[in-house]
Amino acid sequence: MRASDAPQATGIEVVATQPTKADRATLAMFESTERKTLPGAAYIVKVRLKTLPEPTSRGFALYVGDLRIPKYWTYRQGIWFKVFDPQFFAEHKGEPIRFSLNDTEFVKTRLKLTVPKMAKTKGGRTAARLPAQEDVLK
Amino acid sequence: MAALANPGLPGSFSFDTVIYASAGSNYAGVPALSQYTIYDTPDAAYVTPRINISVFANLGIGAPWPFPNTSVPLNGHVCIPRGRGPFPLAVFAHGNHDPLSNSTPGYLYLCSLLASQGIVAATIDVNFLNGGNFGENDARGIVHLEHVKQFRTWNSTATHPLHGKIDLNRILIVGHSRGGEGVGHASFFNPLPAIKPDIFSPTVPLDGSAGLGPYRFALRCIAAIAPTDRQYTPITGPTVVPDRYFLIHGSRDGDVSTFEGYNTFNRAHAVDLANPTVSDGKLKALLWVLGANHNQFNSTWPTETPPATTMPRADQEQVAKVALGALAQALLLDRVEYMDVLRDHATAVAWMPAGATFVSQYQDPERVYLQHEQEAVAPPQISLPVQGTAAADAVTATRVLKDLVNSFAPITTITLRLEWNAPGARLLLQVSPVTLPAERYKVLALRVGQSTEPKNAPNRDQDFTIEVSSGSRTASFPGGSVHRLIYPDVVFGAGKIVMQTLRLPIASLVERGVDPNDIRSVAFLFDRRSSGTLYVGDVQVSN
Repeated sequence: MRASDAPQATGIEVVATQPTKADRATLAMFESTERKTLPGAAYIVKVRLKTLPEPTSRGFALYVGDLRIPKYWTYRQGIWFKVFDPQFFAEHKGEPIRFSLNDTEFVKTRLKLTVPKMAKTKGGRTAARLPAQEDVLK
Repeated sequence: MAALANPGLPGSFSFDTVIYASAGSNYAGVPALSQYTIYDTPDAAYVTPRINISVFANLGIGAPWPFPNTSVPLNGHVCIPRGRGPFPLAVFAHGNHDPLSNSTPGYLYLCSLLASQGIVAATIDVNFLNGGNFGENDARGIVHLEHVKQFRTWNSTATHPLHGKIDLNRILIVGHSRGGEGVGHASFFNPLPAIKPDIFSPTVPLDGSAGLGPYRFALRCIAAIAPTDRQYTPITGPTVVPDRYFLIHGSRDGDVSTFEGYNTFNRAHAVDLANPTVSDGKLKALLWVLGANHNQFNSTWPTETPPATTMPRADQEQVAKVALGALAQALLLDRVEYMDVLRDHATAVAWMPAGATFVSQYQDPERVYLQHEQEAVAPPQISLPVQGTAAADAVTATRVLKDLVNSFAPITTITLRLEWNAPGARLLLQVSPVTLPAERYKVLALRVGQSTEPKNAPNRDQDFTIEVSSGSRTASFPGGSVHRLIYPDVVFGAGKIVMQTLRLPIASLVERGVDPNDIRSVAFLFDRRSSGTLYVGDVQVSN
């Protein structure tokens, strides 16, 4: 695997979604262990790719600016990761999307992090009107 | 040595192979998952609960799994020796591969071997984490620990067939590829009451209160087969494996072609600069297998490299059997004589495929460094508490942060580079004898390797002379008489510099008149090749 094998990103989209049952438990854990109040939404950051990554041992880390996104997952059109704390978007809005095989050399994309429409209220009233993750990740 | 049995051959135990699995998956209802239907009908006594890994991982779309990440199964194959036991436990985990292809049975050849030698050996299903995802190796570690927990539960359940059959003080976990990285994380997570996996996740209890853990297993050793490194990085920084660590990797690996597990190896049991004489009490060892590739360590994965340039699959499996068999004999079955295989791969040469070539490293927990090189990127020096001076004569001696193995990752371990242009050059390490307690140790050990730089003749072993002096008596040994210093197997770029540990018995110094109570110098004399470039990891007295 070489830098030339890096995923070719064609688009980025951030969607506020309804938290899943597991997400609600995660949000509760955040609130109890980190004393943090979060909007009742799960933000899905979708990066569309020309082709999906191969299931090999090695892989490219995804970066937003200088922040290495800890994990990503696949959907039909690319990769995605989930954010619960909208502070992430405030801190990284407009930063470039990059890939790296080794954390020292980077492959640029033309994409920058966009900002979702924020869920405004806590407690599920807004979240109930948000799309389900399974629909967003179809 | 002649009395030792080949650890790669079956032992005297007959054993049974059992499928264990969580109920209700119904893989048979999903045509794409036909390779998993064996887990629809586990042995009745071996039905397992499910676990919630949602804080650690999502499931990829590469396979239509009939369960969510909140309810993943604990599936596996376990080979159980017949007899009362208690037997040690070894648990293998695969790495990333096509999720529609069941990678789990690929280590049954190793589980069968270990079971025949009196070890309960399992290979586990982590296929639901496979696919195009990235960063999930913490979840692989958690799944691995949860399987070990399941064996602990069975061992303590009076009505279970495994009741009392497992010796929970003798556990080995083995992982291949991303699973090889995962076992390092498992070792790191094992003692923790909780973990915040990453910046996007909350703190998760690992004490059983939320379903995961508690662990705190007595892990005798962590073994990584061709592992990745740092795909998952804890918030506290790259994982430092706290347990004994064994690493095996092939020079022809066509997937993890970077030998990045070497960086895991370097971080484990490294010298503590604040307390250089204090050891954490754990050994580490590695075996670099010339010609071996990535996939052939799993018997179900097709080769990823051309057969013409790759060790035959049967040979590679034999290497894995001998290496892991010896590890298990030494550390799980307490047959300490097999420690010699970890200390020096030459001990196992008769058991290995004819003509196979290896490089090995071994660091004993009992050691005192003459040089560990980690003080700074500065001129070489003798490392405290040993006192003395390092002097280079006609050899350029430079400490470097060199990516020896083409990992292309940030390098934090310093190596000493030595280059000479004419025979007779010398690096002289003069030491104060009272600060070097060589008489308490069995060997003088040094790690040395050659590169593909122009001073080294292509495809020729490098060599030099080791001189050890006490007073007026000097003993000289060609480095090549202890071990070959092979030219790197170049697959791409500059090849990989894999240093060989040369272990020179203190007894052989004594035979040549050197007094181990009065060692005054250790010299690298470059008189056996007209020029060369060598890299030195460390020099130590050791056991």
